[in-house]
Amino acid sequence: MADDARSRTNGGPLRAALAALAAAGFVISAYLTWVHLVGTAPVCAAGSTGCLAVQTSPYAEILGAPVPVLGLAAYAGLLLSATQRGQVGVYLGLLLTLVGTLFSAYLTYLELFVIGAVCQWCVASAAIMAAALVCAALRVARLPGTR
Amino acid sequence: MTRTVPPGSRRLLLALTLGTAVLVTGLLVALSQLGAGHAGSPEELYAGIPQDGTTLGEAEAPVTVSVYEDFQCPFCGRFGREVLPDVVREYVRSGEVRVESRPMAFLGEDSLEAARAALAAAEQDLYWQYHSLLFENQGAENTGYVTDALLERLARQTPGLDPGPWNDLRASGSAGSELEDVRAEAGARGVDSTPTLIVSGPGGDEVLEGARDFEEVAEAIEEARG
Repeated sequence: MADDARSRTNGGPLRAALAALAAAGFVISAYLTWVHLVGTAPVCAAGSTGCLAVQTSPYAEILGAPVPVLGLAAYAGLLLSATQRGQVGVYLGLLLTLVGTLFSAYLTYLELFVIGAVCQWCVASAAIMAAALVCAALRVARLPGTR
Repeated sequence: MTRTVPPGSRRLLLALTLGTAVLVTGLLVALSQLGAGHAGSPEELYAGIPQDGTTLGEAEAPVTVSVYEDFQCPFCGRFGREVLPDVVREYVRSGEVRVESRPMAFLGEDSLEAARAALAAAEQDLYWQYHSLLFENQGAENTGYVTDALLERLARQTPGLDPGPWNDLRASGSAGSELEDVRAEAGARGVDSTPTLIVSGPGGDEVLEGARDFEEVAEAIEEARG
């Protein structure tokens, strides 16, 4: 019984999924940060110019920092939270994925309705963040004492 | 033994996490909105600086910066929004530099419509205010975002612009020959991409192609000054 409860707390598969999603998100953010700093155009599927329009828009920076840097920080924190077994890791993961998903929703709104262009990399990151939110929420739900 | 958390404190933790998440996101959104609007108004930027057609600054300024650009080109947009305002504040306002815009209008129909509208504003020596507004409202390339409604809204946002003559001129197609001249001049100077800046002065000419930051432009200006 106790063993069962412990394995649920540790949430092995969920933590592994979170770590994998965080790593994927980190790679995308790193690519977009690099592209922003070098000033080159991101590779966009099907020759679309959406990525460039988004990257050069006035919303591409916050306080002078490229937006993908926020992604780097969030995914790094998420990776860290996935390596933590205790409650701190569980709630840190939930906090980061909540902020990440809400902010990604705002960015997607900007892309669709303000900038009028869609950046596939940003959409990929938003999807990864939403999936991570589901995993993080499941981790909270599976903490012992919830049922 | 596994620690169990009392239901009350779990609820509190969840509420705290949710509340913090909403607060942090709100802060980020506020900063994002603030940053996007930080450019300042075009009127403020260009107030008191002489304009003659597509030229901004004192006619006798020692250094001339010619900007070959397309209103649809994303890096031209970034230059216009992020670098040009600093060049204007640092060098144009003090009379050291004059900037000439050379609209190429080669990316598509939207480029052409935008350039015609800007050149019609140039007849009233309000080209630069309109130029800034076009770049602030830049959309994705060749999506047809340059509509009459957009151009007219920007005209209304340009203080001092008389909409009647502006509209007549825009519709007359007289900008065509001006755009041809720009293309011919670009060809003669070997310009085949945008943005391209040609910085010229007593110290010589320098060609800057592609995305450039303020420091690079400032360095070229200092060199051209001799």
